[in-house]
Amino acid sequence: MDQITIREPVVQTQPVKATARGVDVYYADNHAIKNVDIDILDKTVTAFIGPSGCGKSTFLRCLNRMNDTIDICRVTGDILLDGEDIYHRSVDPALLRARVGMVFQKPNPFPKSVYDNVAYGPRIHGLAANKAELDNIVEASLRGASLWEEAKDRLDQPGTGLSGGQQQRLCIARAIATAPEVLLMDEPCSALDPIATARIEELIDELRQNFAIVIVTHSMQQAARVSQKTAFFHLGDMVEYGETTAMFTNPEDKRTQDYITGRFG
Amino acid sequence: MLGYLLLVILIASALGYLFNYYSARRLTASGEKLHSLAGFHGVYAICLTGLPAFIFVLLWLLFQESVIEAIVAGGLSEAELAGMDEGQKSLLMAEIRSAAQGNVFGEPKPFMMAAAESLNNLRTTAWMALSVCVVAILGLGMFLARRKISAAFRARQAVEKVVSGFMIFCALVAIVTTLGIILSLVYESLRFFDRVPISEFLFGLNWEPQIPIREDQVAASGAFGWLPVLLGTLVITVVALVVAVPIGIFSAIYLNEFASPTLRAVAKPLLELLAGVPTVVYGFFAILVVAPALRSAGASLGIDIAPNTALAAGGVMGIMLIPFISSFTDDALNAVPRSLRDGSLALGATRGETVMKVMFPAAIPGISGGILLAVSRAIGETMIVVMAAGLIAKMTVNPLDSVTTVTVQIVTLLIGDTEFDNPKTLAAFALGLMLFIVTLMLNVLALTIVRKYREAYD
Repeated sequence: MDQITIREPVVQTQPVKATARGVDVYYADNHAIKNVDIDILDKTVTAFIGPSGCGKSTFLRCLNRMNDTIDICRVTGDILLDGEDIYHRSVDPALLRARVGMVFQKPNPFPKSVYDNVAYGPRIHGLAANKAELDNIVEASLRGASLWEEAKDRLDQPGTGLSGGQQQRLCIARAIATAPEVLLMDEPCSALDPIATARIEELIDELRQNFAIVIVTHSMQQAARVSQKTAFFHLGDMVEYGETTAMFTNPEDKRTQDYITGRFG
Repeated sequence: MLGYLLLVILIASALGYLFNYYSARRLTASGEKLHSLAGFHGVYAICLTGLPAFIFVLLWLLFQESVIEAIVAGGLSEAELAGMDEGQKSLLMAEIRSAAQGNVFGEPKPFMMAAAESLNNLRTTAWMALSVCVVAILGLGMFLARRKISAAFRARQAVEKVVSGFMIFCALVAIVTTLGIILSLVYESLRFFDRVPISEFLFGLNWEPQIPIREDQVAASGAFGWLPVLLGTLVITVVALVVAVPIGIFSAIYLNEFASPTLRAVAKPLLELLAGVPTVVYGFFAILVVAPALRSAGASLGIDIAPNTALAAGGVMGIMLIPFISSFTDDALNAVPRSLRDGSLALGATRGETVMKVMFPAAIPGISGGILLAVSRAIGETMIVVMAAGLIAKMTVNPLDSVTTVTVQIVTLLIGDTEFDNPKTLAAFALGLMLFIVTLMLNVLALTIVRKYREAYD
């Protein structure tokens, strides 16, 4: 009798965290991003893939307004985080970046101790009332980045003395210490060896429980392994955006198919 | 005469070049594969003809006059030189020289005219000998260069050897000169320490570098303890750094991190203009503007301020050092990788926080290297303090008092018609040596720090 069942799409299980509508980015006269619309879901890993120079990193840096630090860069269109326009005049980019953390391509720990690296954000934003609270935040962040066991005995040693993979996890710990809502990762594994890469990928999957994660990657295997949603960028256009499994098995656009099958890029 | 000789060398070099060049080209034309390009064969010929001839001429001219004069002086008989000391002998030689050029004063003795004539004859002979030698060298060089031409000859490597030899020579000139300066300083200082014990110089608390004219004079003995002079130098240096370090560092941080590109484009060259102001102009500024201003400010506060204060001299010296420190800070900040700044900004730090907590600590080694170099410049700075600082050495650290510096004392000790055989003038060399040692150690320390920090990011 009750034969009529509504087939729920598997995709939309999480609420939308960030929205972009009609976003264009210009570097001086160079039109780097052309009219991009996208909805990024909470507690989901979204991968941006595409050939070099396609604009995926540029678009990622729009989401925490890091492009503001480049003088010649201009962003138009709307980007909303929880429904609020992050490019509105009343928004302080510094506070926004505490909510939208970022991990860079090359590990960039500060030339400070491991502890001070992680405590950097919480200290700036006054997240801890006393030393004990700060200790807790540092430990929780290092645990969150699965670095605690390796680093707990060397908290006072310079972060630059860790191995490459450990440095990158330190940078992730540093980013999650400010309790962000979104975590942006710009090719976080491209400077790492396969074992360190595997650890970071595992970590990304765990972090998905708490954050919306957007990862730019050159490796399609990595996108397939870690992400639930994938967006394909080509020459500044977002060509296709959908569920990762669907995208890799049955791409809609010819260009996506060519890229995924290795015809170019 | 010399001009013709150089012209001959030039022509011979050009000919040698062309001969070898075309010989090499002919080899190529006949189908052989040359190891070196024809041009290198040509340059090789120059290296074998013009270059040795030119060096020979330089060396010859260096020694010709002294050899000829030695011969002429040797030709004078004992009787003619009887009763002359060294000074009179050199006077006599000067008279002979001018007589040889036709300038005869009064009634010269016949033996002098004879000597002048033999001087002229020797000169002519020397020129002829030189010309013959040069022509021989040119001919031999050309011959050797032409014999070398073959497909397998590595003219390129041979030319490179000559070029690298030239560069080694240039490097040696700088090093040998430095060594010579050090040696002459050490030599004169040792003469000073013969007269004044080194312990008195190093640890003495009195600096009164006068010497008695008569034995029974009051205050007949001078005192040569350099500590008050050193203390005065340090007071002025500290004042200069107190002015220069904060202003230099903060202006560099502002221009590097916060200023708009337009402002930076205007302000940075203006700041660097300060580095181009001659120190004597800073001296005027100190003595005509800063010192009177300090005095009147002190008078209105009821403090009596000396006309030659350490504060005025040091303060103006600090202004001179600002561009020095700010350009070092600028370089150090620029050397901090951009990824560190991005990392901090991405954590929600403001620009100010990023500069103060990440960029500046990372740049500290470079900045401190710059500060040490500035210290050694402040210690060695002469003109400003000669004009604006005092002359009397005092054991005081009060910047409102008049103090003197090592460089000022060196200048005052050497001014006037003095001979280099008494402690007063020789003390200048001892002071110079100490100054040299102090600044050398500071420079070594600074360069070590700077180098260490460069390695950290490359």
